[in-house]
Amino acid sequence: MTVQAEQPRQLGEQTVPLRVVDCDVHPTPKRGEFEPFVREPYRSLLSDRKRMAGNGVYYDAPDYHHAMAMRTDTFPGDGNFAGSDPELTFRQLILEAGSDIAILGPLPERGQTTEEVVAMTEATNLWQDSCWLDAKHNWHQRYRGSICAAIGSPPDAVVEIEKWAGHPFMSQILIDAEPRPAWGDPKYDPVWAAAVKHGIPVACHLGRGEHEQLPMSPVGFMTYNHDLMVTYSMLAVNQVMSLIFDGVFDRFPELKIVFIEHAFSWILPVMWRMDAMAAARSGELGLKRKPSEYVRDNIWFTTQPLDYPENKLELTRALEWMQADTMLLFSSDYPHWTFDDPQWLLKHIPARMREKVMFGNAIELFGLPTEVPALAGQKRVIQ
Amino acid sequence: MCGPSEAAVTSSDGRRTRGVVAHPLPAGREHVVATVAEIPPGQHKIVPIGRYGVGVYNVRGRFYAIANYCPHEGGPLCLGRTHGRSVVDPSAPGGASEAREGEFIYCPWHQWGFELATGTTAVKPEWSIRTYPVRVDGDDVIVMA
Amino acid sequence: MSDTPVIDASVGVFFASDKDLRGHLAEPFASRGYPHTDVSWFAPVAGPRYTPGSELPKRAHPGSDPVATGKAVLDEQGADIAVLHPMTAASTFPDWHLGTAVLAATNRMLVERWLDDGPYADRYRGTIRVNPNDIDSAVAEIEKWADHPRVVQIGIPMQSQAPYGRAQFRPLWRAACEAGLPVAVHIEMGTGTRFSPTPSGITRTYAHLAAYQPLTFVWHLFNMIAEGVFESFPDLKIVWTDGGADLLTPMSWRFDTFGRPHLEQTPWAPRIPSDYLPEHVFFVQGMADGPPEADFAAEWLDFTGKADMLMFGSAYPSWQHTTPDSLPSAWTAQQRAKVLGGNAARLYGIELPSVTVSTT
Repeated sequence: MTVQAEQPRQLGEQTVPLRVVDCDVHPTPKRGEFEPFVREPYRSLLSDRKRMAGNGVYYDAPDYHHAMAMRTDTFPGDGNFAGSDPELTFRQLILEAGSDIAILGPLPERGQTTEEVVAMTEATNLWQDSCWLDAKHNWHQRYRGSICAAIGSPPDAVVEIEKWAGHPFMSQILIDAEPRPAWGDPKYDPVWAAAVKHGIPVACHLGRGEHEQLPMSPVGFMTYNHDLMVTYSMLAVNQVMSLIFDGVFDRFPELKIVFIEHAFSWILPVMWRMDAMAAARSGELGLKRKPSEYVRDNIWFTTQPLDYPENKLELTRALEWMQADTMLLFSSDYPHWTFDDPQWLLKHIPARMREKVMFGNAIELFGLPTEVPALAGQKRVIQ
Repeated sequence: MCGPSEAAVTSSDGRRTRGVVAHPLPAGREHVVATVAEIPPGQHKIVPIGRYGVGVYNVRGRFYAIANYCPHEGGPLCLGRTHGRSVVDPSAPGGASEAREGEFIYCPWHQWGFELATGTTAVKPEWSIRTYPVRVDGDDVIVMA
Repeated sequence: MSDTPVIDASVGVFFASDKDLRGHLAEPFASRGYPHTDVSWFAPVAGPRYTPGSELPKRAHPGSDPVATGKAVLDEQGADIAVLHPMTAASTFPDWHLGTAVLAATNRMLVERWLDDGPYADRYRGTIRVNPNDIDSAVAEIEKWADHPRVVQIGIPMQSQAPYGRAQFRPLWRAACEAGLPVAVHIEMGTGTRFSPTPSGITRTYAHLAAYQPLTFVWHLFNMIAEGVFESFPDLKIVWTDGGADLLTPMSWRFDTFGRPHLEQTPWAPRIPSDYLPEHVFFVQGMADGPPEADFAAEWLDFTGKADMLMFGSAYPSWQHTTPDSLPSAWTAQQRAKVLGGNAARLYGIELPSVTVSTT
């Protein structure tokens, strides 16, 4: 072992430059930790539903029964789930892997009705604030949080944004990818307006819905976890087209959207496609700019999962053609099994793009400090 | 049982973690890494050879040794689970069964699987893990590394 | 200039009118109600529905006259051969008996009116439309037409109620392989019992739908690969006729990377997913495809082997009509020759004069 399990929980005077911002890290509650934050009657409803309830998974990652779709070395020793121990996340991700700042993306407990989703979302923010972003657990100031918002109910989402905007460690608004309709619908405008008003980016993480919001493809359900998860990117393709073709960025030119874990290399041909179609059907769309210009100015993607070809040069070329340095944000997805190590990821990014992808874009987008208090024994991925 | 080898991958509070071997044994020679009784069939032991350690596996009485390092993203390979591989089997309900139980190691990060005996994979043979010769001499399990 | 042989791999064929179609139907189907190919639901607005110049006398539907189409795509546009694809809504009728009856009538019209008669018949090749919701009849229809010398492929709709990897479709693939015919997948016209065209419901604009819907191939194709369809049917060839091939490259990287450890769940498809693409998967180049002006277009076309998959198709008489002039200018002469005719000649077994590219 080269790293001590327990750090002294205090920061010295020394600072280091921020070099790796990890934009997708998943905290999860310990057993019994979340429920006290849920207001009644939903707390009782949740506990009632969980009586005798087992695992509901039906698209399973490899070796699911043993790995639970996690990096199996991230389960803490106390029997709780992977990602439930702020100290272990700090040690494995910040100290050992070298992510300098972790932007937490909690995946809220699901609800069956809109009211339940809103209640779970509220509770998730309270729990996150108390159990991860508080002075005790965030003593190192390396955690940032997400204002979870129930996008299916825009007025409630706005209330939640107004409640937490200005929190010193909340970096973004986080919404689910699956609720219908797509984001070009004007019903979501109040959410975009609130985000723009506070200058906070809106990030979207894929979760898993039910029924036609699983999501379901236009030709029915996939068979396995891999055809489902790979084609999940097609949902993001559609959200990008909806945001642009339906004029969201014409209505909110300052709006910043982050797609987390939807992969990104598909945006290259999708930009060509949108530009060609917008030129051909301009009479219907009436956009102020070329679709690819909105992508460059208003949309970001996180790097994980990095999908790469047999010939790595093809990836390098694609990154250059899409001008990836204008739109990528590093992410690891810790502690999920699809984790991308920052040092590994770095090797795939052309040298001239590394600083923007690993930290530069995130500092600018989220308004992060350029220097952070130094930590003894931390791996530095970029000197 | 915990020896110095275990310390290479287990922190002081008992939680598994990723780490490098602080004081590796010299490379390029034979190491007595365990007694036969120490690694019963189906078990393995991680010993402090090389930068990341070496996993020594007993599969139905045959011993194999591999580097504790996944060539994909550098995960701690030997913290993964060993099992067989799936094959088409029209006689089995669901049409598949497991063959060669325990002969493959699957990485704890991305579940890439490798054959313990050869270090390779049918899907992408060019991605291989490092393997080491192992022999048993009396009660001793000896790795050449 | 180049005198590369040109095969137009996508030309739409229509009945002249609903009356024309009903004239090919027997009762009780001739008196039924069913959607036309052109409906108001998500129609192209603020722009053309069909390409200018495709209008026909007596308000006959564009693409319904073999002579007019021949003049446009063979004489004026310069194709040597045109692969015809009948347009219909019948594959997504809820009553699959009615759907099968309309498709059979469509095939009879295609063969009698286009492949067996008229001045351009020897330069036309045809697509036989079958109903995936009626597998037994689909197999029978394939067997019925398989020996016609100018029938070169089977046609099925992009919209389906299950992805094409599912076991229920296997008799269709088996019949296509036994007949030695590729299967073309095309966006069905009209309306019918279909799921939303996106994972997030309907689009708000026609342009969004037109840009997105061709990409539906991703779900079908990846489900087919994971379900082992190409392992079970090594001779099966699928043609995605609405374009979108550019998406294949990033999505294939994604499927290989993410899919690799999942191969343990699918021993019936044991190879890395992209291994199943060559000589199984073909695309027609669509109006919205390709980096049109980019100097890297040639390099991009070679990624994922797309240079051997893509086929020029004019989509005439659709408004998305393209001509050989609209192909990316940076492609090499060899790439251009493959896309304009070489790939289609190989796929459909069409004899062409030897490919000669001159620079004079």
